[in-house]
Amino acid sequence: MLRHTVIQNVPIAHAGGVRTPAAVFNEIFTVFLGLGTLVGIVVCAYTVYNAYAYRDTGEESKADADRPELGELPTGGGGGKKLFLSFGISAIIVLSLIVWTYSTLLYIETGPDSQQVQENALEINVEGYQFGWQFEYPNGQTTSGTLRVPQNEMVMLNVTSRDVFHNFGSPELRFKTDAIPGQSTKTWFVGQQAGTYEAKCYELCGTGHSYMNATVEVMPRDDYQQWYNGSESE
Amino acid sequence: MTHTKLYTIIYVVLFAFATIQAAVEGFGLVDESYWFAFWLIIVLSVVKAVMVAAYYQHLRWEPRSVSYLAGGGVLVALALTAAAAYSIV
Amino acid sequence: MSDLPPKSSIRRWFLTTNHKDIGILYLVTALFFLVFGGLLAMLFRVELLTPAADFLGESGYNQAVSTHGLLMVFWFISPFAFGFANYIVPLQIGADDLAFPRLNALSYWLYLFSGILFGISFFQGVTFPGGWTMYAPLNTPAYMPGEALGATSVVLAMIMFVAAVTLGSVNFLTTMYRMRAEGLRMRDIPMFSLSINLTVWMMLFAFAALLAALIILSSDHIIGTNYFTYQIDGDTFATNVNNPGSSMLWAHLFWFFGHPEVYIVFFPALGVMAECFQTFTGRRLVGRKWFIISMVLVALQSFIVWMHHMFLTGINLEIKTLFMATTIGISLPFDLMVFSLIYTMIKGRVRYMTPFLFSLGALLLFILGGITGVFLGAVVLDYQFRGTYWVVAHFHYVMVAGATALFGGLYYWYPKMTGKMYNEFLGKVHFAVYFIGFNLLYFPMFIAWETPRRVFNYPVELTVWHNLSTVGAIILGGSFLIMFYNLFVSYFRGAEVGDQPWEFATSAEWAVASPPPLENFDGVPSYASGTLEFLSPSDVAKRQSGHSGAAADGGTAETSPATDGAGAEAGALATTETALATGAGTAEPTGHEHASHASFWPFMISLGGFLLFLGLSGIRTGSMLYTSLALVGGILGFGSLVGMAQEPFFAPETAIAERWPFADVEKMKLGMWTFLASDIVLFGAFIGSYAFIRFAYGWEAWHHDLIPEAHVTFPGLVNTYLLLTSSFAVVLAMVAAEKESRAGVMASLGATFALGVGFLINKGIEWQHLFHIHTEAFPEGWAITTNLASSTFYLTTGLHAAHVIIGLIIAGYMFFRSWNGAYLGDEKPIEYFGLYWHLVDIVWLFLFPLFYIL
Ligand code: HEM
Ligand SMILES: [Cu+2]
Ligand SMILES: [Cu+2]
Repeated sequence: MLRHTVIQNVPIAHAGGVRTPAAVFNEIFTVFLGLGTLVGIVVCAYTVYNAYAYRDTGEESKADADRPELGELPTGGGGGKKLFLSFGISAIIVLSLIVWTYSTLLYIETGPDSQQVQENALEINVEGYQFGWQFEYPNGQTTSGTLRVPQNEMVMLNVTSRDVFHNFGSPELRFKTDAIPGQSTKTWFVGQQAGTYEAKCYELCGTGHSYMNATVEVMPRDDYQQWYNGSESE
Repeated sequence: MTHTKLYTIIYVVLFAFATIQAAVEGFGLVDESYWFAFWLIIVLSVVKAVMVAAYYQHLRWEPRSVSYLAGGGVLVALALTAAAAYSIV
Repeated sequence: MSDLPPKSSIRRWFLTTNHKDIGILYLVTALFFLVFGGLLAMLFRVELLTPAADFLGESGYNQAVSTHGLLMVFWFISPFAFGFANYIVPLQIGADDLAFPRLNALSYWLYLFSGILFGISFFQGVTFPGGWTMYAPLNTPAYMPGEALGATSVVLAMIMFVAAVTLGSVNFLTTMYRMRAEGLRMRDIPMFSLSINLTVWMMLFAFAALLAALIILSSDHIIGTNYFTYQIDGDTFATNVNNPGSSMLWAHLFWFFGHPEVYIVFFPALGVMAECFQTFTGRRLVGRKWFIISMVLVALQSFIVWMHHMFLTGINLEIKTLFMATTIGISLPFDLMVFSLIYTMIKGRVRYMTPFLFSLGALLLFILGGITGVFLGAVVLDYQFRGTYWVVAHFHYVMVAGATALFGGLYYWYPKMTGKMYNEFLGKVHFAVYFIGFNLLYFPMFIAWETPRRVFNYPVELTVWHNLSTVGAIILGGSFLIMFYNLFVSYFRGAEVGDQPWEFATSAEWAVASPPPLENFDGVPSYASGTLEFLSPSDVAKRQSGHSGAAADGGTAETSPATDGAGAEAGALATTETALATGAGTAEPTGHEHASHASFWPFMISLGGFLLFLGLSGIRTGSMLYTSLALVGGILGFGSLVGMAQEPFFAPETAIAERWPFADVEKMKLGMWTFLASDIVLFGAFIGSYAFIRFAYGWEAWHHDLIPEAHVTFPGLVNTYLLLTSSFAVVLAMVAAEKESRAGVMASLGATFALGVGFLINKGIEWQHLFHIHTEAFPEGWAITTNLASSTFYLTTGLHAAHVIIGLIIAGYMFFRSWNGAYLGDEKPIEYFGLYWHLVDIVWLFLFPLFYIL
C-alpha cells in the first residue's frame, strides 16, 4: 500500500534520444557482417585460387627437386615471413573489432549516460516459469504474458526464474538475458516506437519451450499512464 | 633409496599438523576470527599435501616432468574453482 | 592369455587387443553412431518443414534434438577420430602397439556398451530431453516427464563413456611418451599424431571435470542429493532459494569441459588436414614450428575461455572482459594455422584426390565457421546470438568441418587399412554431393538466425530457409550412401595397393605393408640417422649397450593403471591395477617372449559394467529386475577384473625408444601418474563444486544454517590419523620389500589394510549417527537428501570412501600375494599402489578441514 502512494506516476524522463540496444546491435552487426563477408570471400577465394593454380599438370617444376620423401624427419617448410604477415593482418582486424565493440559493451552493461534517464528508469521484475512469463511493476501489480511499457522510457528488467533455466529476449527490441532460478540478471531497453513486439524464451526449458512467448506492448505515455493507474486497483 | 628415518619424521610432522588443525577449532579460533583460522588451516593442509607428494610419492626424486603432470591437474582444478567462484562475486 | 584367431573369425574381434583391430572396431562403431545420430537429425529436420510440432510431438522433438547432439559429439566424432588414432598413431611413432593393449580393448568395449546403454534409454519411456548441454535443473528427474529412467541411463552411459575416454587418454599419453622410435623427438612426430597427443592431454583434464559433473548428476538422480535442485520460498519472484548456485554450478562444470571439448573434436581433424595437405600438395607444412606452437597454445588456453558460453548468466563485468579477451586470443592461433595450410599449397603439385578434396573443403568450411565465431566473441553481438540458430550454424560449420576432414582421413587411410584402393570417381562424387548438401543444410541457418534454438515453431517467414536446410540434410545424409557403397564394394573389388599408394607421403605408416602385419614393423624403427630405418636385432643390441640404463630391458608385463571414481565402474577399473601386482610379479620379462594380443576380459568387464549401470538406472524404483541386473553386473564386472588381473599378459616395451621428457619414468609409473592427474581434477572439481555452491549460498551462513551440532571434528581427526598412518605403512612396506623381508612386507601391508578398514568403520559409525540425530533443526536426522550441506558432505566424502575401498581391495590382494613371497626385491608394484594410496590420503587432507572444521 505504501508503494502505491510513493509511485503514483510513471517517471517522466525522455529516453527518446538514447542509443537503444537495438541500434547498437544493428550498427555492430552490420560492420561485422560487411568485414566478415569481405574477409571470408577473400580468404576462401585465395584458398581456391592456390588449389587451382598449383594443380598438378604433370609438368616438371623447379620445386620438384625438393619434394617430401618417405621416412624423412619433418623440417620447417619455410614461408615464415608471409605467414606472419597474413597472421598479423588478421590479428589486427580481429583485435580492432573487439576493442571497438568493447566500449559499446560497457554502454550496454551500464546503460545510457544520462543520469536522469537512469534514475527514472522503470524497473520491472520478470519471472519465467514453465511455460510463461510474469511481470511485476513498481506499483506491485503483475501481468502474465504481456509486458507493458511506456514509449521512450528506459526499462530495466530484473529477470529470474521460478523453476528451470530460461532466457528472456526480444528479437526486435534486442534485449536478452538468462532467467536463472535463484539468481537475478539485468537487461534494459527503450521502446522508441509504440507497438506490439515479441519476446521469447531462448533456453530449452521443457516440452512447452517452443511456445514460451510473451508480447511486449510499447504504449504512448498517456495511454500507459492510464493503464498503469487504472489497473492499480485490480 | 631407503629413507626410513626421513619417512618417520615426516609422519610425525603430518600427525602433528593434523592435530594443530583440530586444535585451531578446539580453541575457538574458528569462531573468533574465521578467515584467519581458515587460511591457517588451509595452509597447513597444503604443506601436508606437499610433504606427502614430495616424499611419500617421492616426487622429489622423480624427473620434474612428473611433478608438472600432477601440478597441471592441480592448476586446472584451481582455475575452475577460483574463476567460477569469482564470476558470481 | 589366448591366441588371436584370424580376422575372418568372429571370435577374433571379441578377443583382440591389437591397436589396428581396435582402430577398425572404433571406426565401424563410430560410423554406426553417425547413422544413428544422423537419422535422429533427419527426424527433426522433417519436423521443421512446418513451424509446428506435427510430426514428433513436443517431447519427441526435444528428445530427438538432445540425443542427436549427445550422440554426435560423444559417440560419433571423437571415437571416429580415435579409430584413426588407434590405427595410425603407433605406426607413425614407430611403436608395435599401445602401451597397455588390454586397457585399449577395455576402452573400446566400454565405449560400445555405453552406446548400447544410450540406445536402451529410448525404450525406458522417455530418453534424455534436456538438450546436449543438459542445463540444470532441467536435467534432474523433478523436471522430467515420467520416471525419467531413460534420462538416468543417458547420464550413466556418459559416465561409462568418460571412463573409456580416461583409459584411452592414459594409454595414449603413456604410449607417446615411452614408445617413440629412436630419434623421433616430440616435435618431430607427424602432425596427425601430434594433434592426437594434444587432444589427449585436453581429454585427460577436461573429461575429468565432466566426470565430476556427471557423477554428481547421477547421484542427484539415483540417491537424491541436491546439487542441481533447489527449493523456493513462496511462489513468485523467488530469489530466496535454498540453492542459488544450482544452475550456475552445472553451467561452469559443463562448459569448463565443453570448451576444451570443441578442440578435442577439432584437433584430430586439423591433424588429418595437415597430413593430407602435405601429401597431396607435395609440400612440407609451411611454418610447421609455428603451427605446433599455435596448437599447444590453443590446447592450454582452451581451459580458460569457457565462460564465453555464459555471457548472459549475470557473471560480473570483469570476468566477462577477461573471457572475452581469452576467447579472441584463442582465435588468433587458428588464423595462423589456416594460413599455414593455405600457403602449403603454393609451389605444390596439387592432386585432387578424394582425401584432399575433403581436407580442402574442411578448410573452407572452417574459415566460415571461424569468422562467425569471432562474431560470437564480440560480447555485444553474442548477447543477441545466444540461443539462436547463429550459434547452431557456427558450431556446425566448425564441428562438421572437423568431421569433413575426418572423412577425408577415412579415404586417406582406407588403402592402408584394407590393402585396397577405393573408387576415386565415387569418392569425388561423394565429396561433391556432401559439400553441396552441407552448405545447403547449414548456410540457410545463418540467414534464418533469428530462429531460437531447439524450437519447432519458428517465425513463418523463415519457413523457406528451414525447408532448404531440410533438403540439404537429405542430400548430406544421402551422400553417405555413396561412401558406404564405395568403401564396401572396394573392399572386395578394389585394386590392390602397395605400401605407399600416395606419392609424397612421409610418415612411417606408409613404410609398411597395407594392411600392416600384426606387430607392425619387421625391424626396430629408428630415426637416429635422420631418416627412417629399420634396425635388426643385432643393431639394437649394439645401440643398447651404448645406451645407459634408461632404455631398460626387454619389457615389463602389462599392468594397468586404474581409472577414476566413476562409482562401481571405477572400482572395477581401478582394481585393474591389481594387474600391477600380478602381472609384474609373474610374467618374468625375458625380452624374447612373444607379445600377447588377445584377452577376453575387457569385453567381460564392460559387459558387467553395462549390466550394472543398466540396473542402476532403475534401481530407485525398487524393481527386482533392475536390482538383480545391478547385482549380476557388479559381480560379473568384478569377477572379470580379477580374471584380468590374474591373466598373464605380455606387452613388451620397445628396446630402444625416444622417451623425453619421461625417460626415467617407467611405463607403469607414467600410466599411474597420468591417471592420478585426472583423478586430481576429478576431486578438484568435486571440491570446487562444494566451494561454489557454498559460496553462492553464503559461505559462513552455511555452517550455521545447514549443519547439525552433532557434526563434530573428532571422527574426522581420527580418520586423518588412520589414513596418515596407513600411508606411512605403505612406505614401510616398500622399504621392507627392498630389504627382502617377507615378514616386514606382510606386516606393513596388513597394517595398511587394517587401518583402511578402520577408517571405513569409523566413517560408518559417524554416518549412522548423523543419519539418526533428532534435534529441533533436524528432526528427521541429517541424511543425504536433507540439505545442501549434507549432500555435499556425503557425496564428496563418499567418493573418497569409494577410492579407499578400491585401495583396500588392491591392498588385500597384495597382502595375499606377499604371503606367497611376492615383491621381495621387487617393490615396484607396492610403489605404484602407494602412489594411488597417498593420493587418496592427500585428498583427505583437504576434505578433513573443509568438511569437518571450516
Ligand atoms: C574462431 C574461434 C572461435 C570463436 C571465437 C568461438 C566462439 C564461440 C562462442 C563465443 C560461442 C558461444 C555462443 C553462445 O552460445 O552464445 C561458441 C559456441 C560454440 N562453438 Fe565456437 N568459437 C570458435 C571456434 C570453434 C571451434 C573450432 C569449435 C569446434 C570445433 C567451436 C564449437 C562451438 C560449439 C559446439 C558451440 C556451441 C555450444 C552450444 O551452445 O551448444 N567453436 N563459439
Ligand atoms: Cu524455454
Ligand atoms: Cu567455447
